[in-house]
Amino acid sequence: MNHVASKNLNLTLKIWRQAGPKQPGGLKTYQVRGISTDMSFLEMLDVLNEQLIASGEEPVAFDHDCREGICGTCGVVINGQAHGPDSGTTTCQLHMRRFHDGDTIVIEPWLAKAFPIVRDLIVDRSAFDRIIQAGGFVSVNTGNAPEANTTLVPHHVQQDAMNAAACIGCGACVASCKNASAMLFVSAKVSHLASLPQGQAERSKRVLNMVATMDAEHFGNCTNTGECEAACPAKIKLSNIAQLNREYMKAALLSKE
Amino acid sequence: MVTVADTPLDGRCPDGNIASRWDQRKRDLKLVAPNNKRKYTVIVVGTGLAGGSAAASLAELGYNVLSFCIQDSPRRAHSIAAQGGINAAKNYQNDGDSVWRLFYDTVKGGEWRARESNVYRLATLSTSIIDQCVAQGVPFAREYGGTLTNRSFGGAQVSRTFYCGGQTGQQLLLGAYQAMMRQVSGGGIKLFTRREMLDLVVVDGIARGIVTRDLVTGKYETFVSDAVVLCTGGYGNAYYLSTMAKTCNVTAAWRCHKRGAYFANPCFTQIHPTCIPVSGDHQSKLTLMSESLRNDGRVWVPKTKGDTRSPDQIPEDERDYYLERRYPSYGNLAPRDVSSRAAKERCDAGFGVGPSGMSVYLDFSKAIKEDGESVIREKYGNLFHMYERITDENPYKVPMRIYPAVHYTMGGLWVDYNLQSNLPGLYVLGEANFSDHGANRLGASALMQGLADGYFVIPYTVGDHIATRKVKPISADRPEFHEALEAAKSRTAAILNVKGTHSTEHFHRALGKIMWDHVGMARNEKGLLHAIEQIKTLREQFWHDVKVIGSGETLNQNLEHAGRVADFLEFAELLARDALYRDESCGGHFREEHQTEEGECERNDADFSYVSAWEYQGIGTESILHKEPLTFVDAPFGVRSYK
Amino acid sequence: MTDSTAQCKTGLLGCLGLSWFFRLLSSSIGQKFVMGLTGLLLCGFLVAHLAGNLLLFAGAEPFNHYAHALHSQWELLALAEFGLVVLFLAHVYLAVTTTIGNYRARRDFYVLKQSKVPGRIIGANSWMFASGSVVLGFVILHLIDLRLGLRSSLHYLPEENFEAPFRNTLAALSDPISRVVYFLGAIILGVHLSHGFASAFQSLGLNHPKYTPLIKIIGKIFGVIIAVGFASIVVFVPGMWR
Repeated sequence: MNHVASKNLNLTLKIWRQAGPKQPGGLKTYQVRGISTDMSFLEMLDVLNEQLIASGEEPVAFDHDCREGICGTCGVVINGQAHGPDSGTTTCQLHMRRFHDGDTIVIEPWLAKAFPIVRDLIVDRSAFDRIIQAGGFVSVNTGNAPEANTTLVPHHVQQDAMNAAACIGCGACVASCKNASAMLFVSAKVSHLASLPQGQAERSKRVLNMVATMDAEHFGNCTNTGECEAACPAKIKLSNIAQLNREYMKAALLSKE
Repeated sequence: MVTVADTPLDGRCPDGNIASRWDQRKRDLKLVAPNNKRKYTVIVVGTGLAGGSAAASLAELGYNVLSFCIQDSPRRAHSIAAQGGINAAKNYQNDGDSVWRLFYDTVKGGEWRARESNVYRLATLSTSIIDQCVAQGVPFAREYGGTLTNRSFGGAQVSRTFYCGGQTGQQLLLGAYQAMMRQVSGGGIKLFTRREMLDLVVVDGIARGIVTRDLVTGKYETFVSDAVVLCTGGYGNAYYLSTMAKTCNVTAAWRCHKRGAYFANPCFTQIHPTCIPVSGDHQSKLTLMSESLRNDGRVWVPKTKGDTRSPDQIPEDERDYYLERRYPSYGNLAPRDVSSRAAKERCDAGFGVGPSGMSVYLDFSKAIKEDGESVIREKYGNLFHMYERITDENPYKVPMRIYPAVHYTMGGLWVDYNLQSNLPGLYVLGEANFSDHGANRLGASALMQGLADGYFVIPYTVGDHIATRKVKPISADRPEFHEALEAAKSRTAAILNVKGTHSTEHFHRALGKIMWDHVGMARNEKGLLHAIEQIKTLREQFWHDVKVIGSGETLNQNLEHAGRVADFLEFAELLARDALYRDESCGGHFREEHQTEEGECERNDADFSYVSAWEYQGIGTESILHKEPLTFVDAPFGVRSYK
Repeated sequence: MTDSTAQCKTGLLGCLGLSWFFRLLSSSIGQKFVMGLTGLLLCGFLVAHLAGNLLLFAGAEPFNHYAHALHSQWELLALAEFGLVVLFLAHVYLAVTTTIGNYRARRDFYVLKQSKVPGRIIGANSWMFASGSVVLGFVILHLIDLRLGLRSSLHYLPEENFEAPFRNTLAALSDPISRVVYFLGAIILGVHLSHGFASAFQSLGLNHPKYTPLIKIIGKIFGVIIAVGFASIVVFVPGMWR
């Protein structure tokens, strides 16, 4: 067996605590003992919260749901890295065997003007919903669809679309970007729909409206640092941003929108 | 003793030829004129495949839709986690599929405990779902020529499963979410995120609104509507450990039940055979490994009890490939319920492997030897990677260890053919209802049902309720709204006032253990009676001893969880009682008293071919059982054998 | 007609039917497009400028001929200089505004921040604004020295003098402090280009699996060539023609 038997870790946690959006926040230090290396990062936080409840202190609020890396709900900055040290991994899929006995772990929420803090490690990512609302869809009413195989999509086109569509909307791109830019998120949806025949009718309108909303939501601009790509748990490629730029300029200069 | 209602429950299905029943019903349903639709408000609770598709479709028709979800965005609903695919009777593979065959496979897979008319409609609508999703831009897998491709899934002899890599649920959900967001931008949908439904408001016997709590501010609100559509998923988290997301709960459905909606077949729970086993007491959730792995993986345990040798040290003739041994014709591809029980049987008999002895091997070494590692990597690379990340074991070198886990709940609120519960104006869609899967659900059928309900059933049937009953506008000042609002507030206040010594998590885990031990994969009378007593005791302890920190006026996840666990503690008793009353084995419900000599299910069609719909009578008072008889004409009773 | 009257209320650009252009220029992607485009055009200028200046190695005669030939076409030169100023100002203006905008969008900073880009220790690209600022300062100094002839400590030959271009250039590099400043200016410019060149392609939407890796390498090489080219002048030319 190449499984290393589980060990127990004693850790020092420095966690951002903030009672509400307007309240001041700061790092608070906690000790946790006997954390099994088989635990996920969130299970380690569960242990801390049980400990806090036992001592009468309010547990740390953090977003999480599916705990299998697909819903995009969880996400914290762990020692300065969005979703922690592993690439292509969400916080819920990060395991404690990645850490050592005696480590100090700094845990902060996603920070960006467009993602105001709700409480502790929870932020408001509804700006993403409003961007999708601005055009991240194909306008087809239920019942209007033609027979599926009349729309042919070559295998490689489908794969490109799928790779872009894999975005889980967690916001790690924004959190890790020094400019708090949402370009990777926006580009993933724009690329997904622009590559497919179904997305052609609204291709120009979509990119213009989504970018306008992105700007209005106070996300920063892209300076091509590639931090978002490195932090993305769904491995969305930076080339999508180039495609977004292309789509946007084409729409702005050539379309009638 | 259980009180059984005198009059049988009527599913209100159309008569006549099964293939034309839905057309016939659509002909009979009353319509609401286009310019009148905007005068009506429909509440949709939940934004998974059923809720998202329903909200989008109803808003497209012109209704005012109020959409609620518990998560921070509609896109987070747990439909997103479905991996494998979605079934549809397109017959693109020219391999003999048809609407009838999908219908038959689904009825058989559910051990003849689903409603024939509903299942047939589901199979019919399946093809439109694929068309709709493709038009939305869902990137289904394609052949090189650009046409759609399919794969095979458990319980079928044809290839009818459409998929998007291992993320089919995600892509379908994003399709529905995007359709929804388009309506949000058009003003057809008003979206309320981070809201939890805490009660249903019934006025003059008709569902007319809901009570919610804003999870960020703690504020209670009431919403008035002309119909309520509940799409709040399943109750698997009653078992604590399951493949469900952490916020999945029974609260909304249970509160509707307490307001008079019948709860049907709660004992039908699906235990999925291929999940990553529990690694310790800290475990907070279980992760599913797609069923597709059993296409190439061989399941085995050592032939010797308590064999602690590492798997590569155990020679071939000392291995027991028990699925291949017991079910030679289906082998490792036996259906979920059958495979799960077989794994439990081996582990209970002392042949299990791993540190706890509660797992079996899923071995790819033969496939790797025959096809090469690269082929296996291409097929299952992402799953192998996920397995390694969680367990720290390399499945290319050592066999995976798997064990069954609670996955899906076939039971739910009772609905008629129109998906309306016995409470007029309350519609229940997707996993939250009971209707289409019977005692066991086949792989790739849940996505199909959620979308069929939301895109293609509810848009027709909601209008009929509004038009026939001529629902009148009412105000939220009605006493019924005040009463429901106060009830929700006082329940939360009561939880905060207990100020006990044990955390919510403690009670949830304790409930989960009772459920798994006695109401899990194998059940018997003694265990069920014991479980019912234990649940009652635990419930009392909870209300005397739960410790919830913080207030109700802020975001308080601990308080939310406590409210949900309080409802699970009431609901679990009904689940166990239903399991006790259903004195037969079928699908996901296995009563040890009723098994063949080989340990297979022994169904009792003569006495139990009905839907158990329970009517709430108060906590501590036994519910009244309404029976909806099930008849099978087009898919007559048969033996469900996989030998 | 009603359309254009309605548009007129939005100002001159609206009247001209150009409100779309204003929208484009004020959008994030429009701005970085302009940033990338001006950057690449300025790279083109650098190539020409370096090529001309390398004549310093050939001695006074060829360099002075080149300079006078250039200056004799004063209409074209004025146009080019005007163009350069516009490109440069646009590039600088956008750099300042987007940096301020990006700073506001980030708003809060992490107590601890680490890159997840493999091998990256500090965010190398955060240097773009810093290196750009240094380059800006250097360009101003360079213009004062050799375009405007305003450094009071230097004894400029008058422009009519055939020897002026060569002599004045050498004069600007006569003292060690100037040489160090010019040397560092060249190096920092190279650093700026080594990210900026490839980055401009990305901003213009020019990304392709077949070409992007090559563009990235060319960008690095380009940065090195520009830096080494100008630095070599600073290092060797004063010694060669004392």
